[in-house]
Amino acid sequence: MHVPHIRSRKHYLMAAALCALTAAIAMPLRDWLDPANIAMLFLLAVFIAAIRLGRGPAVMSAFLSVALFDFFFVQPQHSLSVADAQYLVTFAVMLAVGLFTSHQAAQLAEKTEAAQARECETRQLYEVARELGAALSIEQAVETLERFLADQDMEGALVIAESLDANDPMTLHGERRLDTRETDCAREVYDSGVGIAADLPAGIMLFLPLTGATRMRGVLAVGPRNGGDVRARRPLLEALASLVGIAVERLHFAAVAQQSELAARTEKLRSSILSAISHDLRTPLTSLVGLADSLAERQAELPTDAAETAGILRDQAQAMHRLLSNLLELARLRSGRLALNLQWQPFEEIVGSSLRLLGDLLAQRRLAVDLPADLPLLRFDAVLMERVLCNLLENAVKYSAPGAAIHIAGNARGERFELCVCNAGAGFPADPAGRIFELFERGDQEPAVPGTGIGLAVSRAIVVAHGGTIAVENPPGQACVRITLPLGTPPTLEGEA
Amino acid sequence: MTAPARIVVIEDDPQIRRFVLDALGKAGCAPQEAGTARQGREILGAGDAQLVILDLGLPDMSGIDFIRALRLWSSVPVLVLSARVTEQDKIEALDAGADDYLTKPFGVGELLARVRVLLRRHGQGGDTESVHRFGGVEVDLARHAVKRDGADLHLTQLEYRLLAVLLANAGKVMTHRHLMREVWGSGQAEQEHYVRIYVRRLRQKLERDPTQPQHLLTETGIGYRFQP
Repeated sequence: MHVPHIRSRKHYLMAAALCALTAAIAMPLRDWLDPANIAMLFLLAVFIAAIRLGRGPAVMSAFLSVALFDFFFVQPQHSLSVADAQYLVTFAVMLAVGLFTSHQAAQLAEKTEAAQARECETRQLYEVARELGAALSIEQAVETLERFLADQDMEGALVIAESLDANDPMTLHGERRLDTRETDCAREVYDSGVGIAADLPAGIMLFLPLTGATRMRGVLAVGPRNGGDVRARRPLLEALASLVGIAVERLHFAAVAQQSELAARTEKLRSSILSAISHDLRTPLTSLVGLADSLAERQAELPTDAAETAGILRDQAQAMHRLLSNLLELARLRSGRLALNLQWQPFEEIVGSSLRLLGDLLAQRRLAVDLPADLPLLRFDAVLMERVLCNLLENAVKYSAPGAAIHIAGNARGERFELCVCNAGAGFPADPAGRIFELFERGDQEPAVPGTGIGLAVSRAIVVAHGGTIAVENPPGQACVRITLPLGTPPTLEGEA
Repeated sequence: MTAPARIVVIEDDPQIRRFVLDALGKAGCAPQEAGTARQGREILGAGDAQLVILDLGLPDMSGIDFIRALRLWSSVPVLVLSARVTEQDKIEALDAGADDYLTKPFGVGELLARVRVLLRRHGQGGDTESVHRFGGVEVDLARHAVKRDGADLHLTQLEYRLLAVLLANAGKVMTHRHLMREVWGSGQAEQEHYVRIYVRRLRQKLERDPTQPQHLLTETGIGYRFQP
C-alpha cells in the first residue's frame, strides 16, 4: 500500500516541475510571443501531466499553470492581479481544458491498467489449466493449485470425495490443514453443491464446489495468507475451481481405466493358466484312457486278469478326469469371474445327457426319473448344471449298494423349481451347518468309499451362482440332495403354437 | 467296407496319435498320421482322404483356421478332438465346417462309433433314402408322413422341418445356431429357445422316454444330434 503513495507524491512533484519548466522556457520568449500562445505551452504541460502522471497531479498542474501564467505573463507581471479582464476567460478555458483532459487521460489509464490486470489473471489461469491438464496425479494438481494461490497471496486446500457414498470420508489434499469447522463447511458445500464465503476465526474463507462433467468431485477451500479479503477474487477462484474439478475428474477416470485394464490382464492371465493346466493334464489322461481302453478291447488275446486290469486302469483314469474337471471348474468359480452361459431350456435335457454321460456307472442301479412333461423352461448354464447333476448322481452311486434305487424327481413349487436326487442308503450324517458342502469335507470321518468332497463343493458353487439353494436330507432309508432354482418368466414362442 | 478307409490323423501328442492309429488300424482302416497342421495339409493335398481326425490345439495353427482353410477346397468329413473345456471352441469348429467332435479323454469304442457314422454318411454322398426308421418310428420324407408304432402321427410344419433337418444330418452334431438357420431361416441367438422347445415337443411325440432320449440326443451347451 505504501508504494502507490510514494509514487503519487513523486508524480505531484514532477507535475510541479513540469509547470516550472514550462514557465522557464516561456520566460525568454514572452517578448516575442503573444500571451495566448504562451497559454498553449502551459496547456501542453497540463496535457502531458494528465497522460503520464495521473488525475491528481494533472489537476494540480492545471491550477499551477493558471497561477504561473497569471503571475509571470499577464499584465501586471509578478502579481496575481489581472489588468485585462479578458484573461479571466483564458484562465477559465485553460483550467477547463486541463481538468477535462486530465480526467479523460486518467480514466483511460485506469482502464488500461484493469485490462492489463485481467489479462494477467487470464494468463495465469491459462497456465494453471495447462499444468492441471498435464498433471498425472492429484498431488501434482494440488502443487499447481498451491503455487497459483501463493502468487495471489492466498492459500488453500482440496477436499476430494473418492466415492459417491454419502458417508465417504473425504480426503484432504494440500499443505493447508483444515480444522473441524472448516471441514464441516467443506462437507456442507459438497452436499449442497453451492459455494459459500464463510466467516471463520482464521478470516473469511471461500468454499467452492468442484463440479466435474458427471458429478461433484469435491470442494476447493481458499483463505487469505496475510489478511485481506478473498471474496473480491471469487470470480477468479470459481474459474479455478472448475478447472480443478475437470482435472480431478480426468484423473479419476484415468485411474478407473488403469484399474480395469489391470483387472482384465489379471483375469486373462488366470484363465490362460487354467486352460494351460487343463490342456497339460488332460493330454496324458487322454492317452491313458485311450491306451488302457485299446488294451481292454483286446480281451480275446489277453489273459483275463490283464484285460480286467486294463479296464480298471481306464476307469480310474476316467475318474481322475472327472476329479480334474471338478477342480478346474471350482478354480474358475472361485475366481469369481465365471460368466454363466444362461439360456432358457427344458431341465430334462441335462437329465438325459447326464444319464447318458454316466451310462456305465449307473448300469447297476435301478433308476427312476420323475419330471412333469409341462415343466416350464428354466434359465441356467447347461454345461455347469450338467456337472451338478453328474456329481450328484456319481455320489448317489458311490454311497449306495449295487441294485439300489436312485430317484430323480423335479417339480415347480411356487416361485422355484425343486429337484431331488435320492439314493437308497445310509443317508448323510447330521449336518446342521451345511459343512458337507465345504471343500474336502466329507460325511464320514473314516470313509469306506474313495473320493473327496469336491463334487458337492463344486455343485454348491454352481447352484449358488444360479441364485439357487442346495441342501441334504435324510428321509428314512435314503440320502437326498435337494436343489432349488428360481423359475423366472420364460420367453414365449411366437408364430406357430 | 471294401477298400480300407483312408483316414488322416492330425494330432501333436504322440501317445494319443498312437492309440488312435492303433484303434483305426484294428478296425480295418488305413490311417496316416501328422504331428502338425502343415504335415496334415500336405497329406490331405493328395485329395484322396475319406476322413480327417483333427486335434484343435495344434502347435503351428489354430484348428479352427485349419478347418476354414480346408473347407475352401474339400468336403472331407472332419472329426475334431478337443481337450478344452469351453463349449465355444467346439461350436466354432462345428460352425467352421467340422462334422463332429470328441472331448478328451475318450474311449476307443466312442472313437470308432463316430468314425463309422462319418464314413457311412460320406460314402452315401448325399442322402437318397426317403424312409427313415428308428425306435418304432417311421418317417417318409417323400410323403411327409410320420408313423409311430404303425399309427399316423401328426407333426406341425415346424416340427416336421426340424425333424427332417436332423434326419438329413443323422449322426452329425447340429449347433443351435445351425438348426435355427435351417428351420427358421435366421440365426438370431436370442431365439435359441425355439429350437429347444421344438426338440422337446419332438421328443414327447417320438421318444419312448422323453427324459432319456435314445435318438434325439442333447449335446449339452452345443446343440443336438440325431442318432439312428
